[in-house]
Amino acid sequence: MKVTYLNRDIALGPYVPQEDDDVIICRCEEITKGEIRRAIHEGMYTMTEIKRFLRTGMGLCQGQTCTRLIKNILQNEMKRAVQPNEEPTPRAPARPLAMENYGKELVK
Amino acid sequence: MERYDLIVIGAGPAGLSAAIEAAETGMKVVVFDENKRPGGQLFKQIHKFFGSKEHKAKVRGFRIGQELLQDAEKAGVEVHLSAVVIGIFPHLGITVSKDDHIEHFKANSIIIATGASENALPFSGWTLPGVMGAGAAQTMMNLYREQPGKKILMVGSGNVGLVVTYQLLEAGCEVVGLVDVLPRIGGYGVHAAKIARTGVKFYLSHTIVKAEGDKEVTGAIIAEVDKNFKVVKGTEKHLDVDTICLAVGLTPMSNLARMAQCQMVNKGGAVPSCDEYGATSIAGIYVAGDVGGIEEASSAMIKGRIAALGAAKYCGYITEKEAAEKFVVYHTDLNKLRQGMFAPGNKEKMTCTKTREGYPLSMNLLTKGFLTEKELAVFPDCLQEVRGIHPVVECTQNIPCNPCQDICPMHCICVGEDITNLPVINHTQKCSGCGRCVANCPGQAIFLVEQGEKEDHVTIPYEFLPLPVPGEKGCGCDRSGAVVCETVIKAVKDLPANDHTVLVTLAVPPGMGNTVRFYKKEGGVI
Repeated sequence: MKVTYLNRDIALGPYVPQEDDDVIICRCEEITKGEIRRAIHEGMYTMTEIKRFLRTGMGLCQGQTCTRLIKNILQNEMKRAVQPNEEPTPRAPARPLAMENYGKELVK
Repeated sequence: MERYDLIVIGAGPAGLSAAIEAAETGMKVVVFDENKRPGGQLFKQIHKFFGSKEHKAKVRGFRIGQELLQDAEKAGVEVHLSAVVIGIFPHLGITVSKDDHIEHFKANSIIIATGASENALPFSGWTLPGVMGAGAAQTMMNLYREQPGKKILMVGSGNVGLVVTYQLLEAGCEVVGLVDVLPRIGGYGVHAAKIARTGVKFYLSHTIVKAEGDKEVTGAIIAEVDKNFKVVKGTEKHLDVDTICLAVGLTPMSNLARMAQCQMVNKGGAVPSCDEYGATSIAGIYVAGDVGGIEEASSAMIKGRIAALGAAKYCGYITEKEAAEKFVVYHTDLNKLRQGMFAPGNKEKMTCTKTREGYPLSMNLLTKGFLTEKELAVFPDCLQEVRGIHPVVECTQNIPCNPCQDICPMHCICVGEDITNLPVINHTQKCSGCGRCVANCPGQAIFLVEQGEKEDHVTIPYEFLPLPVPGEKGCGCDRSGAVVCETVIKAVKDLPANDHTVLVTLAVPPGMGNTVRFYKKEGGVI
């Protein structure tokens, strides 16, 4: 398998506030566009890094609404195309469910 | 752990079609869907579908859903509802959350048909109650019979935006306007015309800037955008609305495919890369429907059947040759739907200026939602002086659809082999005035016109309640929804075969037969 390393030597320039920075992007975790842009300027260069730094896409809807929006913000800030496999890794359970039910495994 | 030949994830048009096709080959099939009701989005689709007979054209979406359910039952498909697939694991195993527990299932093949989710559009105030997806509005209206609001702004002029706007009007809501950032209406002209003639205003090259309100939406601010889609300062405009519907595209729900380690590509979102049967990079896992790339329900049903062929072939229920033979038939049907001006991936959609027949496309239809009489006159069979009752087909874009040709008992209307052709009137055949073409055109673009000395008669398709009654006086509206004359209802025909598209015949002043296209009650309300 070919191994590629993300180039971290990127000059994004200074963080310049934008008019719509206070618009909420991740509804579940209430994270704004400004917070995401600032995180990118602080060195969160991938979707996964942004997720781990800010908890975007880790709420009830599991990124169903905001993944696309964050991808767009990242592409705009970094001026590069974000590949499908860069989206946060989907893991089971794919949908929220009660822990009580999760612990009740029917074995036939 | 129970074992099946095929597990289908998602009971929408693609999933159900796949399950039926697979079960017919003798496979033991189970379908899981997270929703309480099967059918995916089909049961919200109360409009008549486009396409041809093979695609169940002119049948309302939810009826197609009912047919699919019956066929699935007949074929012996096991359907589990409120059953959420929470994980997909190596060696074709899945975990399902059902009732109060989780359960594991295994299969020799899996078809992922999880569909798509609505895109969000972030703007100031977009998280306020009252901002919702157009699909959510549709669920409220068509499944739960609740109005999403009283005064509505629709964002997005693709087919979803246009169809849901029409359904909002049918549900008795007022649609204050339709906004799109692009300079052209994105959906079918006939869908746009249906709402333009009720008076809905289109704001092209506009965007929504703000949803106003503290606790809920009390208004919206829209503004013009320039060529780079940046808001032009000073063009902001307030609209009095209590609900904002977003119809700004769909994203494939491909999480399970990624969880299964399928190789992904970018196609309007991350979708699994797959061959012509829908086979992904993981042996035994197939995709069908919107999860493999956004199209519409008719295509999804065929893609479901094709994926089932792949799975049946993989599991040895049909031979390579049998699969290939059926594949050709389905693929031909699918290709018929993928033609024309609005075909998926057609890059000329925003720039083309002529129909395939060489007629100039109506720019008013593309920007305001209606054709001017001058533009319409260019098309043959429209607005000509014809004696006696005759159909006027205001279908001016190449879209895959031909029920008008099949439905006319007098063979007056001809589309031809290629269903994206514009309909042509055969003048050697005499129109009987039955109105079947009017009621069965999914785009509601056919009218019967009879010009007379004292008055003209126009028969329009009508789907609003309460229905007018013969003798009632009201307003005749032109294609833009403007009231142009007084009119008297001559006849109201509600035939079971027309499935609630009512034929309303209006008497209008002489010379207005080619102008009046809609009826409003006195005072100019629908």
